[in-house]
Amino acid sequence: MNFWEAQARARGKTKVYVAAFVIITVLVAIGAELAMRYFAEDSYSPDFPVVGLTFMAITFVVALFNYFMYSTKGGSYVAESVGAYPVSNPPRNPVEKQLLNIVEEMALAAGVPVPAAYIIPAAQINAFAAGTNPENAAIAITEGALTKLNRDEVQGVIAHEFGHIYNGDMKISLRLAAMVMGFLFIIYLAMRILQFSGLRRRSEDDKGGNPVMIAALVLIVAGAITWVAGSILKSTVSREREYLADACAVQFTRNPEGIANALRKIGNDSTEDMPKEGAAFSHLYFDEHSGFSSLFATHPPLEKRIEAIEGKEYLPEEWKKEL
Amino acid sequence: MIISAIIIGIILILLFSVMGIYNRLVTLNNRVKNAWGQIDVQLQRRYDLIPNLVETVKGYMEFEKSTLEAVINARTRGMAAREEIQKTGGTPTDASIKEIVGAEATLSGGLGKIFALAENYPQLRSTENMQQLQEELRSTENKVAFSRQSYNDQVMLYNTAQEQFPTVIFASMFGHKPAALFQIESEEAKKSVKVAFTHQ
Repeated sequence: MNFWEAQARARGKTKVYVAAFVIITVLVAIGAELAMRYFAEDSYSPDFPVVGLTFMAITFVVALFNYFMYSTKGGSYVAESVGAYPVSNPPRNPVEKQLLNIVEEMALAAGVPVPAAYIIPAAQINAFAAGTNPENAAIAITEGALTKLNRDEVQGVIAHEFGHIYNGDMKISLRLAAMVMGFLFIIYLAMRILQFSGLRRRSEDDKGGNPVMIAALVLIVAGAITWVAGSILKSTVSREREYLADACAVQFTRNPEGIANALRKIGNDSTEDMPKEGAAFSHLYFDEHSGFSSLFATHPPLEKRIEAIEGKEYLPEEWKKEL
Repeated sequence: MIISAIIIGIILILLFSVMGIYNRLVTLNNRVKNAWGQIDVQLQRRYDLIPNLVETVKGYMEFEKSTLEAVINARTRGMAAREEIQKTGGTPTDASIKEIVGAEATLSGGLGKIFALAENYPQLRSTENMQQLQEELRSTENKVAFSRQSYNDQVMLYNTAQEQFPTVIFASMFGHKPAALFQIESEEAKKSVKVAFTHQ
């Protein structure tokens, strides 16, 4: 399979996943409605599927709201929210100068505008790209990556992040993250309702099933199901796109060793100090450092990525010629 | 009456399509010039850095006069080719590109040699100026290499448009010539770029 096919397939698949998200939400909403009518038979029998509609409305509204927030604020907002500081021009030291140079080089290679560069104050080797389009993108890299990697390796890492920008991954990631946020919010809301209705029940001492409480329980279960399904989907999409970003990195730098060696150094590096604030954006990172691969892993195992890079698995023929 | 209206209509349509062709060629030509400008900026920066480098290493490398001279000569060649392109309106010709490619190959080889030699002079190597020069020269070289692709893409679009019908009838009439691709021809030139700088 070559890069263009893989890219087209990944894009096509992403559409399927987004559709799957919507279908799961609708199905779970129907399930919630049926459960509600079953468990609270006496007290809940409206003409409209109130619980199901509420569930769908809240999820989609919260998802849209989050997506809107992410897209209007752009990559710099994400970078600053994980505690990264911007590299201004003129740079303060040779390391910053080199980073700016590499970012400019890769912008030329990828044919996208030069994104804002950020440094994350962490000793582990990592980086991410954020933003919804190339115009508002930001690239952040850790201090650890800048000190532990040589120039070619830093270039490989930055090129990988440009791969995400070039493939339009950031938008999809943010869309998926926003939906997962929607499901999380449902759970949070239902928990709050449960707390509240629990207190009230004690004071009023009414008999039988409290419809509000049952509704809250149903919503928690529904939210949890969609949240788990959503997280798995999010991770699957993300893993596929890592390979494509790696292939882009090879194309942009014309140097497979740079990124392969950077991945090897990550494998041998045991520092774990990424800022906690970044957990929600784990899928954006260069590598997630989880140590094991699972359904929820947003990145494929390092060995497989190195194999794909060195075997030039995803590289189109016309790119191979230039290497 | 109707016939004359039809004739006027046809003439207007033809006029508009020729205008469209004219404007399209101008747009494509400007894109080529613009893409070349990206490369030109980097070449200019490179050529500006070289005297500085020569000045820095001169005292240390008396015995490597020939390398320094080769670098200086390549710079002069490249600068002349650059000016030639600027004088002729900003669209590179085959001859001027060839000059620049040749100059760049010599430059990259020579610079690589100088930086490799500088490793033997700890005092020289550790000067901040030398490190900055090495980083800047390397980055400009990378930028030239990475801009090549998008420049060549624009040239391909411009050249293809000139060959297509009906544009081909008007292209030379409006003074358009195929632009030159920025290609590194020989394997040797490619190699000399690869080994130009040692890892830090």
